[in-house]
Amino acid sequence: MEEKTSRQPLVLKGRTLTRRELLIGAGMVAGGIALGPVIAACGTSTSTGGTSTTPKKGGNFRLGVTGGGAKDIIDGQNIVTKPDQARLVAGFETLLTYDENYNLTTDGLAESVTQDAPDKVTIRLKQGITFHDGKTLSSDDVVYSFQRLFDPKQGLFGAAGLGSVDPNNITKVDARTVRLNLKQADSTIPDQLGQYYNGIVPVGYTRIPDLTTKSVSIASSNGTGPYKLQSFTPGQQSVHVRNPNYWRSGQPYFDQVTIIDFPDPAAQVNALLAGQLDAITDIPFAQVSVVQAHSGLKVLESPGGGWLPLCMAIDMEPFTDKRVRQAFRLMADRQAIVTQVLSGHGRIANDLYSPFDEGFASDLAQRHQDFAQAKSLLKAAGKDGMTVDLHTTDGAAGMVDVANVFAQQAKGAGITVNVKNDPNYYGDQYLKLAFSVDFWGTRNYLPQVANGSIPTAPYNECHWPPADSNYLSLYKQALGEVDKTKRIALKHQMQQLEYDEGGYIIPFFNNLVDAYSTKVSGFQPSKGTLNLDSFGHGFRTIWFG
Amino acid sequence: MASGPSGSASGSVSSLIPGGPSVTASPGIPRVRNPIWGFIVRRLLLGAFVLILVSMVIFLATQALPGDTARAILGRTATPASLAALREQLHLNRPVVVQYMLWAGGLVRGDAGTSMAAQEPVTKLIGDRIINSAFLVLCAGLISIPLSVLIGSYAALKRDKAFDVATSLTTLIFAALPEFVVGVTLVVLFATTVLHILPAVSLIPPGGRPWDQPVGMILPTLTLVLAVTPYVARIMRASMIEVLESDYVEMARLKGLSEWIVIRRHALPNALGPTFQVIALNLAYLAGGVIVVEYVFNYAGIGGALRDAVSNRDLPVIQAVALLIAGLYVLLNLLADIATILVTPRLRTRL
Repeated sequence: MEEKTSRQPLVLKGRTLTRRELLIGAGMVAGGIALGPVIAACGTSTSTGGTSTTPKKGGNFRLGVTGGGAKDIIDGQNIVTKPDQARLVAGFETLLTYDENYNLTTDGLAESVTQDAPDKVTIRLKQGITFHDGKTLSSDDVVYSFQRLFDPKQGLFGAAGLGSVDPNNITKVDARTVRLNLKQADSTIPDQLGQYYNGIVPVGYTRIPDLTTKSVSIASSNGTGPYKLQSFTPGQQSVHVRNPNYWRSGQPYFDQVTIIDFPDPAAQVNALLAGQLDAITDIPFAQVSVVQAHSGLKVLESPGGGWLPLCMAIDMEPFTDKRVRQAFRLMADRQAIVTQVLSGHGRIANDLYSPFDEGFASDLAQRHQDFAQAKSLLKAAGKDGMTVDLHTTDGAAGMVDVANVFAQQAKGAGITVNVKNDPNYYGDQYLKLAFSVDFWGTRNYLPQVANGSIPTAPYNECHWPPADSNYLSLYKQALGEVDKTKRIALKHQMQQLEYDEGGYIIPFFNNLVDAYSTKVSGFQPSKGTLNLDSFGHGFRTIWFG
Repeated sequence: MASGPSGSASGSVSSLIPGGPSVTASPGIPRVRNPIWGFIVRRLLLGAFVLILVSMVIFLATQALPGDTARAILGRTATPASLAALREQLHLNRPVVVQYMLWAGGLVRGDAGTSMAAQEPVTKLIGDRIINSAFLVLCAGLISIPLSVLIGSYAALKRDKAFDVATSLTTLIFAALPEFVVGVTLVVLFATTVLHILPAVSLIPPGGRPWDQPVGMILPTLTLVLAVTPYVARIMRASMIEVLESDYVEMARLKGLSEWIVIRRHALPNALGPTFQVIALNLAYLAGGVIVVEYVFNYAGIGGALRDAVSNRDLPVIQAVALLIAGLYVLLNLLADIATILVTPRLRTRL
């Protein structure tokens, strides 16, 4: 399965959730097995960001999304392009959800998720939830959904995060209860159950277009979500209509949701200004002021956690000496990078990732540009005045800019950085380069380590950790540790190692900047992975009025 | 329009006609009474030959470049299994000549292959988009051609008067503006900022046709009209002025013919000859310029398909659209030559 989880677009590398709720629920244990944390029912807060607080029904909500094309699909457990995300959340739901503050909640399809033992997770479904075709959601569907996630033919992203689940030992306990038996202790399973791409699909579900027949038939679309699919043309648009039997009372509010692909972000802004759309994702930074100046529009800026690291491979020259890595980290003027690369729409970072994790090491001193210190470190390492190539490509917005700005700043320390912008970067060279730029979305710390910072990780750009480090054993301990305090302490030790000797230069976390019409109420800024407050939670917490 | 069509009157028509004055039909081509048919058949064969050459260039430039094509296409999503599957689909394991023959043979049968991004036949993927783009070019052509002929002729008749000066200045300005600037300016003027009377983008619902929403056609069509009209009008004016100063027009006037007859019977047909060439060049250019305009107005045409295909490295779609545009160039040049011959007796008799 590992080889199937090929590098997905930025948007798929969603983050996982904090586990604060797990401990809040600890002790309220279902079935009397009080071994591990529990997520008990704690609903989301119901604050609203729009103009009216009493939801009204009706209307056709028109959303513009960039980044789509002929590759668009609809799959309750997968996305290829950004519009796919919006289409997924309109029709499909997950077992757990997260609120706008990044806390896991049981507001999803599961009534509770209990970690009975470090290697056993029990899922209890809510009662009376039906699919679009009228079938009642049962444990058979949950078992099928997990099996589908693990099916190598489907090539689904969710399998990577659920790597410790034994695919052959997912058992149906009763009509509403499923048990996952783990191959090893893993405290991150509940995080994964809240990821939007681990949606629950009915037994026998197939995606659109069908993998074998290639046909775009909407008949196979069947989820529990607030809207049913009415039509879909990849690269152009999809129409979704209200699910009259939706399980959350009163929701959703729109009669119809139309999701339209836009190749050009400027055309998308124009369509919003002209009143042809009600909301759009990812406004170009240059257009933010145009939208803000318009009385009928609002900008929704969400403090996301995406990051573009400059990656130094710790086993390749000139970065084998940790003093060189430390010096390079001191050459970056992070605030200037945020200003020049993001037009200010982001926050400076400290070479550490997963800012929303329960154990994020925010106490480590913020690094600032310090040429004197950098020069003395380089001199000590015998590398002063050297020249190095920095490889990058247009893989995600800002990847080339961040390389150029850093190269400019490095001159201050007497280092020549040659930026190599290579369209075939992700072909043969990727992960084999001494100095390169990459992109990541947000996820919590341990899942991110599994993806990028251990020898078995599929995208370990820095070839971390060093051979003589105890990082890997700390990781394994943290993964199996169900006690929050102990787990946080372990994660802190891991981050200290990366902070002191790691290969990442992480200059910033970027914001998501979206816009919507003031005719729409209910949007609020969210730390979630997805744009527009997770598209208004699948277009169900927003309304016209 | 820095990269736009260069309207030049120097493209003399006679040089575009192969064969020269002595016309003996080659074997296999049936003798027909009107020599224009022989000319058309010869030009069609020549066009087919050009298209074959173009198809080779397209194929070489996209698929047969040195290096690992499959890896270039898949980029970072490449896995050994997906590489093998793609090599199989594109016949990359076969010799280049065989690859080309398989591809070209498919095209002849109307099978342009399968899109690698959408996993459906290329013809199905771009069929509707061809209709949409063709309709946009047609609208732009139907408005801009008569308009530019009128403006050009009238400016020539009123040479150095107010109308001529005004249109010269205006056409120069519009000729200098790239069409995305014109398009965006029109959007600002009529849709988003100054007035709010027209849609900013043309949202053609899937399965729908652009003519179902005529109001959405206005700005894209206007942008293309403003891009093309200046060139044609300027050529028309130059060529009309030349004709009006010619001996035969002077003779016609001396014979006492009314000015209207002089213009309609003697001046206009002769002035149109060079203009047809420029019109053809501009219409063919529209097929490419439409890509920019479709982008600005989110118009679901071949431009969007080509752009998407390039970003996905979707070779079958790129190849099909490139060949389609090349075919359009050949066809429009042929039509322009035929039209030129029909309005120019001197050329007609030389066939």
